[in-house]
Amino acid sequence: MILFEEVSKIYAGEHAALKQVDFHLKQGEMAFLTGHSGSGKSTLLKLISLMERPTTGRMVLNGNDISNIKGDDIPYLRRHIGMIFQDHRLLMHRSVLENVGLPLLIEGYSRYEIKRRSLAALEKVGLMGKEDFAPINLSGGEQQRVGIARAIINQPPLLLADEPTGNLDPKLSLEILSLFESLNEYGMSVLIATHDLGLIAKMRYRTLTLKDGEMINDGLMRERNG
Amino acid sequence: MANKMEDRKVLSGSPRIKKVSFLGRVSAVISQHFQQVFTSFSELWKTPIATLMTVFVLGLALSLPSVFNVLYKNAERVTGQWDGASEISLFLNKDISEPRVQVLINKLALYNDIDSVTYISRHQALEEFKEMSSFSKALNYLDENPLPAVLVVVPTKDAMTSAGSKLLVAKLQREQGIDLVRVDLDWIEKLQAILELLVDIVIAIAALLLISVLLIVSNTIRLNILNHRDEIEVLKLVGATNSFIQRPYLYAGAWYGLLGGTIAWLLTVAMVIWLQSGVMSLMGLYQLQFEISLLNFKEVATLLGIATALGFVASYISVKQYLVKIEPK
Repeated sequence: MILFEEVSKIYAGEHAALKQVDFHLKQGEMAFLTGHSGSGKSTLLKLISLMERPTTGRMVLNGNDISNIKGDDIPYLRRHIGMIFQDHRLLMHRSVLENVGLPLLIEGYSRYEIKRRSLAALEKVGLMGKEDFAPINLSGGEQQRVGIARAIINQPPLLLADEPTGNLDPKLSLEILSLFESLNEYGMSVLIATHDLGLIAKMRYRTLTLKDGEMINDGLMRERNG
Repeated sequence: MANKMEDRKVLSGSPRIKKVSFLGRVSAVISQHFQQVFTSFSELWKTPIATLMTVFVLGLALSLPSVFNVLYKNAERVTGQWDGASEISLFLNKDISEPRVQVLINKLALYNDIDSVTYISRHQALEEFKEMSSFSKALNYLDENPLPAVLVVVPTKDAMTSAGSKLLVAKLQREQGIDLVRVDLDWIEKLQAILELLVDIVIAIAALLLISVLLIVSNTIRLNILNHRDEIEVLKLVGATNSFIQRPYLYAGAWYGLLGGTIAWLLTVAMVIWLQSGVMSLMGLYQLQFEISLLNFKEVATLLGIATALGFVASYISVKQYLVKIEPK
C-alpha cells in the first residue's frame, strides 16, 4: 500500500524533518506512527498525502510512484486517501451531512447518491440523527466522528489519521480507535500518528517510531506494565 | 488481524462505491456547474450590504461610459437632422438660359457623389425670399429680380464628409455657368472635430472605468478567497481540483459584473429620462423635434455582456493569483 525508500525531507534552513526513512505498510494493514513532537510524524503523513514533496527518496502508493507526481494529479490521488485530523477540519457553516458528502460531491455523484452514502457513513460512525446539525453544535468526539465519516465515505484503500485522539478523553479515544479497527477489518489500510503510547500499547498493532526524523523502531510496542 | 484481503467486506450499510460512468460524469459536471452558478449567487447575499455596495460601485463605474454612449449616439442623430449643412448651393450666372440649366442639372445628376439636385429658378428664389423676409413690398419696386437661380446639391452620404465635400466643391467650381459655390465646410469640420474629440474622451474615460471595475471585482474576490482559506484547504485535502474550487468564485465575479451592468443600465435610463425635458426645451428653441433615444436591446445586451465578462475576467485574475496558491498545511 505504502512504500518508503530512503525518503528524506529537508525544509528551508536545512532542517531535516525526515532522514532516509524506509518502511512498507501492506494492503489492509493497520499501524501506529509514534514519536515525540517534532520527530517527523506529521511530515511523514504530509508526504503520503502530498501536502509536501520529498527532498530525496522514493514513495510508492498503491503501486504508483508518487515521488514526482504532477500537481494536476494530486487531487485524484487524494481521493484514494481518507484523512483524519486532530482539529477535524470540518466546514463549520455546512451541515454534518454536507461535510460528510463532500468527497462524493467532488467526484460528481448525484445528490441522491451523496445523501444515501453520507447517511450510511454517519450510521457507521454512530451519528445517525445528527446529519442536519452544524458541526459547531457537536462535541469534540462527535466532530471527530464526522471527520472519520467524511474520510471513509468513498471507501478509500488507505486511511491516514494525524493525532485523531489528541483532543479526546481516554474513553472516547478508545472508541475512536475501535472504529479504526473495524474499518481495518473491512480491508482498509490504516496509519495512525499519535504520541499516546498508552493507547498504542493497549491496541497492540505494529508501531513505527520516529525520533528526530529517523525511523528507530518498527514492530509491536509492549505495555510498560506488562 | 491485518492483511485479510480475502476477508475484505463492504462497510455495513454503505454500498460499495461504483465508478462513475463517462456519461454520469458529464451529467454530474453539468449539474455541478448549474448548482455552483446558483450557489454562488446565493452566497453573495450572505453579506447583503457589502454585496450591494460593491454592485452599486460597479454600476456607477459602468453607467458613465453607458451614458456617454447614449449622448454620443444622440449627438450623431442631431447632426443627422442638420443635413442642410451638407447641402451645396450653386448660384448660377444671371444670364444662363433655361436649356443650359437643364443640361447642367443632367450633367450633375451623373456625378457619383451627388445624391440629388434641386433647381430653384430666379422667380422661385424671389418668391421664397419675399415669404421669408419682411421686404416683400419693397421688393415689388425693384426693376429687375436681383436673385440668381440656384441649384441645391445634396451629396451622397460618403461625400458628406469634410474631405468628400471639398473634392465635390472643387469639381463643381470648374463647371460652366456656375457663379458661386457655397458650402459651410468650416462648420461641418468643427462639428466633426468636436465629435471625434468626444469619442476619444469617452473611450479614454471608459477604459479607465473598466479598469476600475476589474480592480474592484478582483479585490472583492481576493478578499472572498482569503476569507474562505480554511474551506479551500479542506476541499483540496478531500481531492477537489482547482477548477472545482475556483468555479464558484468565477461565477461570483460574473454575477457581480452582471448585477453591476444591470444597475448601470437602470442608471442610464434614469439619467436619460431626467435629461429628456431639458433637451426637449433646448431643441424647441431651435424649432427642432428631438427625443433622446435610449439604449436599444443590442446595446443593453452588449453592456450586460461586457460587464459580466469583466467580472469573470477580474475574478479569474484573483483566482489564478491567490486561490491556486493556497495549499493545505
